[in-house]
Amino acid sequence: MIDTFDSRALGRIDCFGQRFMRTGTYRYHLVPAAWAPATYEHPYTVEVGTRDKKRKETMATHTVQVRFDGKAFQPASERAAIEEGDLVIWHCPDARHVPLAVVGDKEFFGNRAMVNECGFSHAFAAAGEYAWVDAYGSGLAGVVRVKDPDCRTDDDFREWHRTLTAAKLVMITGSEADPAEVDILTGQTVYFAVTKSEGVSVTDRRLVRNRPEAE
Amino acid sequence: MAEITAAIDEQGANDLFGAAIAALPPMSTSGASNLGPFTVSYSASATVTNGSVDLRPPGVIRIANLRLDWHVTFSFGVDLNDYLPPLHIPSACVDIPCVGEVCTPEIDIPWPSITIPVSFGDFVESDIDFTLSISQTGGQWRVEAVVQGVPNLEIGASTAAALLAAIALELDAIVTPIAGPFANIVVDAILGAIAIADLTGFLGPILTPFVSGLRIPIYNQPVNFEVLPAESPVDPAITITIDTLTADVQHNAPEDELVLTADISA
Repeated sequence: MIDTFDSRALGRIDCFGQRFMRTGTYRYHLVPAAWAPATYEHPYTVEVGTRDKKRKETMATHTVQVRFDGKAFQPASERAAIEEGDLVIWHCPDARHVPLAVVGDKEFFGNRAMVNECGFSHAFAAAGEYAWVDAYGSGLAGVVRVKDPDCRTDDDFREWHRTLTAAKLVMITGSEADPAEVDILTGQTVYFAVTKSEGVSVTDRRLVRNRPEAE
Repeated sequence: MAEITAAIDEQGANDLFGAAIAALPPMSTSGASNLGPFTVSYSASATVTNGSVDLRPPGVIRIANLRLDWHVTFSFGVDLNDYLPPLHIPSACVDIPCVGEVCTPEIDIPWPSITIPVSFGDFVESDIDFTLSISQTGGQWRVEAVVQGVPNLEIGASTAAALLAAIALELDAIVTPIAGPFANIVVDAILGAIAIADLTGFLGPILTPFVSGLRIPIYNQPVNFEVLPAESPVDPAITITIDTLTADVQHNAPEDELVLTADISA
């Protein structure tokens, strides 16, 4: 099992993104994934201000780099200031870190169960066929097929590396994934965008196999 | 003149050594060594099969084509970061309809360290010279054939090449799923770091002690032993003592013989 993924437990090649559609202060914490259900403190904030009407783009992306000191996670900045409609992406590149959860103070905010206007990305570092499911049993499922590029020359490697800048999109609405099956090359990223759901996960099927059906 | 003399010719010696070598238990060893730039932990086992005995007076028993069947399992660790730069995944962007473009941050993925397990066996045949060793310990006379010097085992290039192929097979199986498009480059680089001389240099010190430490028991006899049981209270058991024992390889025309002599007392 060389490469696995679970939107509830972010690894170093995963990102979680949350879009904030209304102004206000949203608090959150960054904790080891297993702690998420028992996390009640939210020391970090996302301040969402009124959208500048002059701005052309629909949505700006703000990346919050997360550090891991061996015991705890900490964002590069404890306060992120954004505008309504913007997306915040959390990513912890530290190779030593335990799987991470972003725990928000609102029901829609967090990666434990993705509800709406959020997303999970995973860079697939090894070839293979990856079946994924919603670990909460909604029936949401899909497949990512990852193929090694046939690289022989330097140009082949450059061409492959260029393809890595293009992620593949899977839109999730309710318990439907569109497209349910995607084909990519090794190293490419798939972004699972959740527009609206009851709270789902994108979990490598091998991680839930032989377990009782999750509630 | 010795009181007891026993002698066997080369055919007899062949039978004697054949039985004695067949009764030797399998040998084993373990330890750490180097294979090119890699540190290796190994365990090895071996069995010996008799060849053709040639009695060579004075005092030498040569076994031609003594066969050592050996099997070695070993593993070595490779940090793939020594062979590849981190896998750099650039910022990957995707356009979400009606929403806009989402770009993930750049990610560098370090490579893991891997362990390559290898299991390999072959045989080697050598002409080995033995001398006779006589000892008396624990009330027991022992005659053993002991290897003379440190034999030079000829581990051929074909054995080394086959071992390299076995390593390549394991490397392929382990590296390919991890290194993906870089797998061939990494496997070639790791194999390139292991020269044929490294393989023979690795095997030689492991296998040689199996032969150089070989002691083949030829004759075991208690110093005191009963030759006739007691028949009655006035006719007690007769026990004799072997006072001295010698063993040698001699030429007694027309034969070369393995000769055992003993002086006894009652």
